[in-house]
Amino acid sequence: MTETKLPDFDTMTPADFEQYLPEIFANGDGRVSNDPRLQTFLKNNPDCAALVRDLEAIADQARSLFEPTYEPSDAVWTGIQNKLKHADPEDDELALPQTV
Amino acid sequence: MDVQGLQMTQTTPVPGVFKRNPPIAGEAEAIEASKNGYAEAFSKLYALHKRRVYTLCLRMLGNVSEAEDMTQEAFLHLFRKIGSFRGESAFSTWLHRLTVNLVLMHLRKKGLNLVSLEETINPSEEEAPKRDFGSRDLQLTGSVDRVALERAVASLPPGYRMVFVLHDVEGFEHNEIATMLDCSTGNSKSQLHKARLKLRELLRRPELATQQDGLKEVAV
Repeated sequence: MTETKLPDFDTMTPADFEQYLPEIFANGDGRVSNDPRLQTFLKNNPDCAALVRDLEAIADQARSLFEPTYEPSDAVWTGIQNKLKHADPEDDELALPQTV
Repeated sequence: MDVQGLQMTQTTPVPGVFKRNPPIAGEAEAIEASKNGYAEAFSKLYALHKRRVYTLCLRMLGNVSEAEDMTQEAFLHLFRKIGSFRGESAFSTWLHRLTVNLVLMHLRKKGLNLVSLEETINPSEEEAPKRDFGSRDLQLTGSVDRVALERAVASLPPGYRMVFVLHDVEGFEHNEIATMLDCSTGNSKSQLHKARLKLRELLRRPELATQQDGLKEVAV
């Protein structure tokens, strides 16, 4: 898909806005609500502004999910050790050193 | 395991991801020792990175059993390939990419990756995000609860979840996602937007999230 041509922000309708929103989000720094070209439109279309605010809040909080939350069970490490111990000697890539 | 499809060579570091992966004390020594076959050092690498790798697998797969299997595969693969790590990017970034590639390959083998993406291009009526802006009295209050978001992400359709996790959580760019998922950047942008719309809907109506499968396995 080629770059999408964005509509005229001064004359676009809410439907236009909805259609082009994925591109508008992707083209900027993710802060659509701060885009000076959109301030008038968002002020005149509070539902669109609310949508933008919600999507930005979701994207913001998503970054916090980067930090690991979950821990694998001990069975995972046991499985890794077993696989390494019982690796086919012909499989050079899994040929394991002395101490496992 | 066929590793031909995995891009295990060093690629240009991704700034966003790299910044989020600062070096860990003792990691460099453990990497070098692991390259020389010291099992204890490999054990240390596992201890340092198991949570991040597992969490990534769990978020991408939405299933505890598969996530544990893929975590095991990722570390076995790491053991095989650690000699090719040259330190041009953060180790965790490199391991991260290795894991993402393994999970995607796993999904391809299951026939799920592109199928699920296609499904979410034309999802069932039930799964598709609502196209209206929604009434403002139901809007989110400008903040999103982390636990609620985690729960909502777990209940996303697989194709939506994949793109959302890769872009908004893991920090990959659309062009990278397009390469990984073998789709266009436009498709990636569109899927991300639909995922966010669906999340908005799920966060406004949390009872919808609790109806989804998968939730029980990643519920916090």
